[in-house]
Amino acid sequence: MSTPARRRLRALLDRPGPFAAPGVCDGLTARCALEAGAECLYMTGFGVAGSLLGQPDLGLVTVTEMADRVRALAAVAGDVPLIADGDNGHGGPLNAMRLTRLYEQAGAACVHIEDQAFPKRCGHMESKVTVPLEDALANLRAVLRARTDPDFLVMARTDTRATVDLDEALRRGDAFLEAGADILFIEAPRSEDEMRVIAERFRGVPLLANMVEAGKTPYLDVATLGEMGFKVVIFPISGVLVGLYHMRRAYARLLQEGRLPEDEPHLTFADYNALIGLPQALESAEACGGPAGPATSASRTPRAR
Amino acid sequence: MRKTTQFRRLIDAPDILRMPGVHDALSARVAAEAGFQAITMGGFAATGSLLGEPDSSQLSLTELADHYARICDAVDVPVFADGDTGFGNVTNVRRTVRLLERAGVGGLFIEDQMFPKRCGHTPGKAVVPVEEMVGKVKAAVDARTDPDLVIMARTDAIAVNGLDDAIERANLYREAGADLLFVEAPPDVEAMRRILREAPGPHLANMVEFGMSPELTGGELQDIGYATVVWPVSSVLAVVKALRGLYGQLRNEDTTRNAHDRMVSFEEYTTLVGLPGLRAREQSYLDAARRLVGDRQAPKKESAA
Repeated sequence: MSTPARRRLRALLDRPGPFAAPGVCDGLTARCALEAGAECLYMTGFGVAGSLLGQPDLGLVTVTEMADRVRALAAVAGDVPLIADGDNGHGGPLNAMRLTRLYEQAGAACVHIEDQAFPKRCGHMESKVTVPLEDALANLRAVLRARTDPDFLVMARTDTRATVDLDEALRRGDAFLEAGADILFIEAPRSEDEMRVIAERFRGVPLLANMVEAGKTPYLDVATLGEMGFKVVIFPISGVLVGLYHMRRAYARLLQEGRLPEDEPHLTFADYNALIGLPQALESAEACGGPAGPATSASRTPRAR
Repeated sequence: MRKTTQFRRLIDAPDILRMPGVHDALSARVAAEAGFQAITMGGFAATGSLLGEPDSSQLSLTELADHYARICDAVDVPVFADGDTGFGNVTNVRRTVRLLERAGVGGLFIEDQMFPKRCGHTPGKAVVPVEEMVGKVKAAVDARTDPDLVIMARTDAIAVNGLDDAIERANLYREAGADLLFVEAPPDVEAMRRILREAPGPHLANMVEFGMSPELTGGELQDIGYATVVWPVSSVLAVVKALRGLYGQLRNEDTTRNAHDRMVSFEEYTTLVGLPGLRAREQSYLDAARRLVGDRQAPKKESAA
């Protein structure tokens, strides 16, 4: 039941030093991150809400839509592990169990689950609501109980630094670890001091740092975070923010000038095909004995008479 | 006529609208064939059919909407949909209404249970504060793009807070814009009469076998004053019994050749799912295509000769 991707994630966690997991939300972002050499990918719920629905991260994406995304991303990622955003489990313990089964079957290497109330919102937004610790533990225990592959890792996240204070967040971290969480995610610390306190308190435990551009947490690089004591560093929306910056401009210029101007930097068609894996796909089809097209000869373009 | 308009007219008509419960496209066809003017599918039946699980808010909005879309495509009669608790807050309710409307339902309902909910005729229910539900009803009514889409508000408050509170809630939900009201699980006929007297407007009666309310006929419920009645769990209860008998006989006899009396004939089945009509339609397209091509080619042949 274990997968090469899950074994790789364990190896990354065991290897000394931090590693980056860039955020992805669809096949295209995943391809870009993999091409750039990412050792691990992170499926961001924030990104999925934008990519799939064009909506803010406000708990609108359903669990089955998220699981379908996991499936698509894990298929593209292959042996590169995917850490997937499980929100708050999408309800109570039964819902959290269902989410876990769906994500594990879909091929994620790790899921994270948080203590926000349903419907949740992005961790760096205002007005979050968190649930009592017992409810959060019930969902976490449900996730741990539902997994069938011990290599499918479970990360516990707490949003209580914002709704209560750092002490509560640390307390919950202890409780989540005791319950059996493999990795801890203390969301949205507000200063480097807070980050150092977190790293010190949980020395020896795999910790995630969440780097959101202009978010609530100081924006540091992977090496610095590694020195502090963090292991996994996610950049959930960096790719999307950069991509959209350019895409908006492309659409605006296209509509303004009636075509994409020549001086607008873009991939060539050949670049795209290489990125998206077209040569390999065609090769696979040919190797099976036929072209990657319609099966019946009757539907092929007839030779000129 | 749109299904929504049809459904609204059926609710408003003087005769009580009788809606059998179905759980999939096949059972929907059987119900429509039996002559019912509208059908319903509840979360209890849908969750049983799709997941083999109890009624506990396990299905996501999107898989429920997909399921309703298939059922709506399979029959010509209006389908009345279960919107569970609306799948979150007022923002989620908006998505719920939009997706179900797009699926083609004639009407839908949301209820004031806490999420995740449980079957209305089981113990341990909890309801949300009344303001929250009033907000959700308003959001639901505002979200529809077809003004004829019937929106029903259900309250589970009898079991939690008593009949007085349930009646008060029903009145508030009506004021918030609900077209139809459903006070779940009244314990006896006296309670039913009181509900209809003290919460003016059209009401739905829920006939659940082995449930908490007396099982009355459509005629009896019409006399009490109900506008519509549903039997939402009958189909799954009946199917489980029928299949148990079949599978048991197969296990015992190692064949189904003596079990034909438990079944419809092959021809009856294919007629139910519309095979004759489908073949006739296919043939008529082939004939029409042949005629069209023949007509165009005939003049050319004449000129060549």
